Amino acid sequence: MSVPAPRVFRLLAVEAIRDGVRRRIVPVIVVISLLSLLAIDSCTACASGSTVVNGQTLDPQATAGWGGAMIFVVLGLWIMVLSGILASDHLVQTLVDGSAALTLSRPVGRTAFALARLTGALVIALSAGFVLLGATAVLMHARAGADLSAAVLGGAACALGSCIVAAFAMLSSLALPRIATALVVLTGVAAVASVNLFTRAGVELSGLLGALDRFGPPLAGGLVFSVSPWVDGAAAQGAGTDLWLRLVLWAAIGLAGLLFAFRRAELGR
Amino acid sequence: MLGLEFAAVSKRFGARLALDRVDLSLAPGAALGLLGPNGAGKTTTLRLLLGFTRPDEGSVRLHGRDPTDPASREGVAYLPERLVLPDRMTVGAFLRLHAALAGLEGSALDAAVVGAAEMTGVADRLRDRIGGLSKGLSQRVGFAQAFLGEPGLLLLDEPTSGLDPIGVRDARDWIGRARDRGCSVLVSSHILSEVERTCDRVAIMHEGRIAASGRLDELLQPGEDLEDAFVRVVRG
Repeated sequence: MSVPAPRVFRLLAVEAIRDGVRRRIVPVIVVISLLSLLAIDSCTACASGSTVVNGQTLDPQATAGWGGAMIFVVLGLWIMVLSGILASDHLVQTLVDGSAALTLSRPVGRTAFALARLTGALVIALSAGFVLLGATAVLMHARAGADLSAAVLGGAACALGSCIVAAFAMLSSLALPRIATALVVLTGVAAVASVNLFTRAGVELSGLLGALDRFGPPLAGGLVFSVSPWVDGAAAQGAGTDLWLRLVLWAAIGLAGLLFAFRRAELGR
Repeated sequence: MLGLEFAAVSKRFGARLALDRVDLSLAPGAALGLLGPNGAGKTTTLRLLLGFTRPDEGSVRLHGRDPTDPASREGVAYLPERLVLPDRMTVGAFLRLHAALAGLEGSALDAAVVGAAEMTGVADRLRDRIGGLSKGLSQRVGFAQAFLGEPGLLLLDEPTSGLDPIGVRDARDWIGRARDRGCSVLVSSHILSEVERTCDRVAIMHEGRIAASGRLDELLQPGEDLEDAFVRVVRG
């Protein structure tokens, strides 16, 4: 009996999400998210008070804009790291415990299986992202009149960045032990985000770091671009086409690399 | 069309030649026992059949297709040697997932899950987590997933490992029932008596080659049982 490919993917993705929810890391994510909500509440409260620095009273809207944008970017990067950590064993664990071999003995393609496992990791991470980034946006909108469409763009940048990080983490997990993959995720996101943020701060980077900023995945760059209207009160400069293209391109490269490697992987040894 | 066909298949793992120009076939409805000492290449043969690894030379066909094509595995059920089921799933959820992947839906899926669970004696454990089952019960759950949807080809790798004597006899009955309805069976096993009672043809593998193959009555010399024939073939 032939099973249509979309149904196979749906069955496997639902199971991958359930499998993710059953993991011990999920309660940790929930606790961290609750603590983050407290931080969001505190960091977006500047708009309702006044801040005095060196005798000068700062514009409360601008202060709130900075605080909100900063926490949005930090939380967006945290969601990307979380995606990578979850993806770092969500596929390879099924190879180790043999459940991949049992599933792939059915009329199931490896592409559907790998994409379903990636989806499972991403759904959990992005659910946390939806709550955290959504709470930040809503509080910023209510307290400082921040533009919600900027948060929607930021959410899209976070989702694409998470897809990039998760795909590369899953790809790396096919060759490296889990702890090494986790280190690759942490150092990779930190390195890319740092060069993105230094450049936005006006630091001229050259050589490898400059190339990483110009041609690498703009993990922090996309987030900063999206919520920049919160800081300067105006629309983001330009359409950011280059940033979005690079995010989509790197997501496609990550997915293609993952699928290529998994289709060649030896199973069941 | 043959259920499965190996034509001059060789497979290396590094410097080790795991399979050396193996020819093998299984006609629809037939049952073939794959015998051999440890490291003879039996599990590699099954992995090649399921597309888990690719041959270095020769060709493998499953239902006339390349085994890496998912369509080649329609109607195929597999029970691996080292059966590790997902601990955190319930037996029912696990069987339902595999029934759905086997192409069943709706009431047919429900009926197949209940039928396979009743046949293999795990019907009262459908709500239990797999992690809480004994090895023997886990093996029964493995059998249950293999019989979902009445497969046309059963690939069984050391199927009675972990089963008690009653379980071994039950497993033989289940395989017999599958054969009665026309299912082809490929059994890889160390247990010669099991193969002798389940299969009508035997292939004895040794050092990656098919050292002998044929019907049981063709392989046995006068006064020999299968164990004698196995030792004769393997020791030369």
